[in-house]
Amino acid sequence: MAKKTYDLLFKLLLIGDSGVGKTCVLFRFSDDAFNTTFISTIGIDFKIKTVELQGKKIKLQIWDTAGQERFHTITTSYYRGAMGIMLVYDITNGKSFENISKWLRNIDEHANEDVERMLLGNKCDMDDKRVVPKGKGEQIAREHGIRFFETSAKANINIEKAFLTLAEDILRKTPVKEPNSENVDISSGGGVTGWKSKCC
Amino acid sequence: MEEPPLREEEEEGDGDEVGPEGALDKSPSQLTAEDVYDISYVMGRELMALGSDPRVTQLQFKIVRVLEMLEALVNEGSLEAEELRMERDSLRKELQALRREGPSAGGEVSLGPDKMVVDLTDPNRPRFTLQELRDVLQERNKLKAQLLVAQEELQCYKSGLIPPREDPGRRREKDALVARTSNASCNNEKTIIKKLFFFRSGKQT
Repeated sequence: MAKKTYDLLFKLLLIGDSGVGKTCVLFRFSDDAFNTTFISTIGIDFKIKTVELQGKKIKLQIWDTAGQERFHTITTSYYRGAMGIMLVYDITNGKSFENISKWLRNIDEHANEDVERMLLGNKCDMDDKRVVPKGKGEQIAREHGIRFFETSAKANINIEKAFLTLAEDILRKTPVKEPNSENVDISSGGGVTGWKSKCC
Repeated sequence: MEEPPLREEEEEGDGDEVGPEGALDKSPSQLTAEDVYDISYVMGRELMALGSDPRVTQLQFKIVRVLEMLEALVNEGSLEAEELRMERDSLRKELQALRREGPSAGGEVSLGPDKMVVDLTDPNRPRFTLQELRDVLQERNKLKAQLLVAQEELQCYKSGLIPPREDPGRRREKDALVARTSNASCNNEKTIIKKLFFFRSGKQT
């Protein structure tokens, strides 16, 4: 049977307005690359990246959602299984920042109660076009008790840090479960059974 | 764009009652060539009454000249007015036609505030449902997940993590697996999908 190449599987979700750079953030993390051409994500997509934290191989399955309103019924159905959600806005786009409360409400409505949330102010390389001060991002994150990073997928600022921090936060909450054998039943999803029982 | 009352009506209505003198009471913009003739008749009659003084005759020539000029201006003006009237009439007809079309066309279209019109000749028109898109995306992502698993496994074989030749015990196990029908591989597939998609299974179960 298939051999497990990881210890834990974490499911993450990227949400936020269209054009804030969710796909680019993910692409930078998964492929360490950046593309300037804007191609709107159709519905939902995902990428896989395995990282090592505290001696554990953690497979991150990162779901990238379309920000456009017309896909919302599709994308919101993916909130439920997410263990971590990255809410991305664009520091050069005031509207995308204003909509944070709307996205947070979506999380409340559709995601697991104990989902780990994180706020990202992307495009921080474009300081000349900035309209959202860093302090405002920090403030709203503090108000909601979530972590905050300013990132740039283009300049590769804080991208890996953000993903690893989110994964660490999830790992901290994950019940310690030593695999009794190397060949853990893959259908159980490894050490994430605690999560699974929660959503069923 | 209020139009003054039609000239014809005025002439027929007032002309007979008021007589030639009435023309002098008219608004300059409504003056017609007929009115100018009436005026010249009235003035000629009054000049005649003044007798045959040579100064009167001199004045008469000038008055005739002024009246001729007035006649030319009035004719020019009425020509322009006629053109404008025709243009107005054709625009009115156009507007009426549009008004008639408007509600009937709108009746088919505005079925409600949340309705949308689709141009059936547009090759880029929307034609798939959200459910169809959802299904296609799910299948795409499922296949992508399977591809990733297969790639990972292939990498394991390539890197020697999984030896191509296995010990007899495992070999037997593997043979047995293969011997099982497609049902087995189907179950196997399910577990992989389940693994990657307990996202959905969480919802459904």
